[in-house]
Amino acid sequence: MNNLSIKNKLYIGFGSIVAIILLLLILAYNNFASLTDANRWDRHTMEVLLQLDRINSVSLQIQVDTRGYILTGSEALIGSERENAEQLKQQVAKAVQLTADNPQQNERLKRAQALLTTWADVNIRRQIDKRRSLGDTKGAAEILGQSSELKEAGAIVASARELLDQAAEEERRLLAERSAKAVDLHSNQNNLLLGGGAAVFVLSLLIAYTLGRAILGPLANLTAGLARLGSGDLAARTVVTSGDELGKVSEDFNKMAQQLQDATLREQAQTNELRAKVDSLLGVVARAAGGDMTGKISVGGDDAIGQLGDGLQRMFDNLRQLLTNVQKAGIQVTTSATEIAASAKQQEATGVEQAQTSVEVLSTTKEISSNTSQLLKTMEDATAVADYTTSATSEAQGNLRRMDQTMQNMVNATDSINAKLAALSEKASNINSVLTTITKVADQTNILSLNAAIEAEKAGEAGRGFSVVATEIRRLADQTSVSTWDIEQMLKEMQSAVSASVMGMDKFSEEIRRSVGEVRQVTDQLSGVMDQVQKLAPQFDAVLQGMQAQAVGAQQITETMMQLNDATQQTVESLKATSEAVHQLQYAAGDLQSSVSTFAVNA
Amino acid sequence: MKVLVFHIGADRYGLPLRQVRRVLPSLELKGIPLAPDSVAGLMNLHGTPLPVIDLSRISGRAPSRQHYDTRIVVADYIAPDGTVHALGLMAERVQGVQDVAPQDLAPSGVQAAPFLGQVAGDAHGMVQLVEVNDLLPAELRARLFPAEVATG
Repeated sequence: MNNLSIKNKLYIGFGSIVAIILLLLILAYNNFASLTDANRWDRHTMEVLLQLDRINSVSLQIQVDTRGYILTGSEALIGSERENAEQLKQQVAKAVQLTADNPQQNERLKRAQALLTTWADVNIRRQIDKRRSLGDTKGAAEILGQSSELKEAGAIVASARELLDQAAEEERRLLAERSAKAVDLHSNQNNLLLGGGAAVFVLSLLIAYTLGRAILGPLANLTAGLARLGSGDLAARTVVTSGDELGKVSEDFNKMAQQLQDATLREQAQTNELRAKVDSLLGVVARAAGGDMTGKISVGGDDAIGQLGDGLQRMFDNLRQLLTNVQKAGIQVTTSATEIAASAKQQEATGVEQAQTSVEVLSTTKEISSNTSQLLKTMEDATAVADYTTSATSEAQGNLRRMDQTMQNMVNATDSINAKLAALSEKASNINSVLTTITKVADQTNILSLNAAIEAEKAGEAGRGFSVVATEIRRLADQTSVSTWDIEQMLKEMQSAVSASVMGMDKFSEEIRRSVGEVRQVTDQLSGVMDQVQKLAPQFDAVLQGMQAQAVGAQQITETMMQLNDATQQTVESLKATSEAVHQLQYAAGDLQSSVSTFAVNA
Repeated sequence: MKVLVFHIGADRYGLPLRQVRRVLPSLELKGIPLAPDSVAGLMNLHGTPLPVIDLSRISGRAPSRQHYDTRIVVADYIAPDGTVHALGLMAERVQGVQDVAPQDLAPSGVQAAPFLGQVAGDAHGMVQLVEVNDLLPAELRARLFPAEVATG
C-alpha cells in the first residue's frame, strides 16, 4: 500500500467507492424493477377491476334500459340496446383477455361471459320482444314484472354478477397481496438505500481516511520538515515512509536539506577560516599597534584577505625597515652627540689648559725680561774676546796664502804631464784603428778564400788549381790575422801602461787640487771668521737693541696673553653652552631611541 | 769529398761542400717574433729574405756567439718533395775547407740528432758530417717553407 503511487491510491480509493455505489445502484435498480413490476401488476389488477366495474356498469345500463322500456315501453330507451350489448360483449372479452394470466379468474370470467352473452343476446331480447308484443297494453309492466323471463334474466345476471363479484373479490385479494408485497419491496428498497448509503458513507469515510493518512501523513511530515528548515533548523529531515511521489519528494527534500546543511557548514567553515585569518591579521596589527613589529603575517594567497595580508606584510616590512633605520639613526645621533659632548669637554679642558698656559707664558715673559739685562753684560765680555781673535786670524791668513801659491805650481806641472800622456794614448788609438782595418781585410780575405774554395769545388776538376790558390790565400789571410793579433796584444799592453800612468797622475793632481782647495777653504774660513768677528761689534749693538725691543715685545706679549686669556674664557663659556646644547641633544636622542625602542623590530 | 768545417761548442762538424752556396760574414738579422728558438732570424740576400737557422741552437746548445769567425753559410736545402730552398745556417768558428777521404768515413754508432751523419778522424780529432736535408724537423720545415711558397 505504501509503495503505491498517489495516483494509484486515488484510483483504488475512488474506484472502490464508485464500485460500492454501482453495486448499491444495481441492487436498488433490481428492487426498483421489482417495484415497477409490482406496480404493473397492481395496475393490471386495477384494470381488471375497472373492466369488471365497466361490465357491471354496462350490464346495469342494459338492465336499466330494459327495465325502463318495460316500464314505459318507450322505444327510445332501448335505441342503444344493441350497441350496449355489443359493448358488454367487448367489455367481457376484454376482461377475459386481461385475466389470461390467471386461469382461475379466466375460467370465472369465461363462465360469466357465457352467462352475460346469453343474458344479453337471449334474455334481454325475450323481455324486449315480450314487451313489444304487449305494446301499450295496460299493466304490461306488471305482466312483465311477473313474467318468468324477467326472473330468469335476473337469475342469470345475478349469477353473472356473482361470478364477477367473485372475480373482483379475487382481484382485490390479489391486489392486497401484491400491495403487501409492494410494501415489503418498498421497505426493502428503503432499507437497501439506507443501509447501502450508510455502508457507502462509512466505506467512503474509511477510504478517505486511509487515503488522507497515506497522503497527508507524509505531506504533514514534509510540511513540518519544511517549516523546521524554514525556521533555520538545517538538521531537519523527514522520515521516508512511502515509495510514492511524496516519498520521492521527501527523499529529495532530505537531499536538499543535506545539501543546504553541507553548503551552510562549508560556508561556516569558510567564514571561520576567514575569521581566523582576519584574527591573525588583527593579532599582528594589534601587536604592531602595541609596538611589537616582529609579528609575521602568515596569511597569504590570492584572495582579497591574502592580498591584504601581503600588503600588511609589506607595510610591516617597510615600517620595520624604517624603525630600524630610525633606531640606527637614533643610536648614531646619540653616539655623535656623545662624541660632540666629549670633544666639547675636551675643548673645554683645552681652553682651561690654554688659560693656564697663558698664565705660564706671562710668567715666562717676565723671566725673559729679567734675563735680558744679564745677557747685556755678557755681550760686553764677548766683544773683547772678538777683538783678540781678529788679530790672530789675520796672521794665519798670510801663511796660508804662500802655501796656496806652491800648490798651484804643482798642479800646473801635473797638468802638463797629463797632456803628454793623453797624446800618447791618442796615438795608440790610431794604431788600433789601423789594426782593426787590417783585421777586417784579413777576415774578408778569409771569407773570400772560403767562397773561392767552394766555387772551385763546384767547378770540379777545372777548379783544382784555383782551389790551391784559394788555400794559399786563406793561409796568407790566417797569417795576417795572427800577426795583427800579436800587434794588437802589444798595443794593448802599451795602452794599459799609459792608462795606469795617466790614472796615477790623475790621482796625484787630484790630491794636490784637493789640498789647494782645503787650504783655500781654510783661508776663506779664516777670512770669514775675521769678518764675522769684525762684524760682531755692530751686531752686539743690534743685539742690545733687540734685547730692549724684546723687553717691549715681552710687555706686548703679556697684554696679548691677557686678551687671549679673556678670549679663552669666552671660548670656555661658549663651549659650556655648546656642551649644554649637546646634552639636550643627547637627551633628545635618548628620547628618540627609547621611543623607537618601544617598537620591537627584530624577532 | 770536401767539407766546410765549423764548430758546435768544442766539436768539429763538416758541411758537404756540394750543398754550400757561399759563406757570408755574420750580419745583422731581423728577428722573427714567435718563431721557434732554433730560427736565428731573417737575412737579406740581395733582396731575397732568407731564414737563418742557428746550428748551435738547433743542436740543443746556447745560441752561437758572435766571434770574428762566426759565419752565415748559405746552403741548399732539398725538401723531401724535391724542391730546393736556400737556407742560411749560422755556424761558429768556420775554419775552412777540409778534404775527407770517403774511406775514412764511418758510422758514428750513436743515433742522436737526425741530421748528424758519419764521422771521420784526422790529426785534429774527429769531424762529423751534417746532413743539411735532415736539418729541419717536419714542423719547422712546414713553417719555413709552406708547400706553395717554394723558392729555387
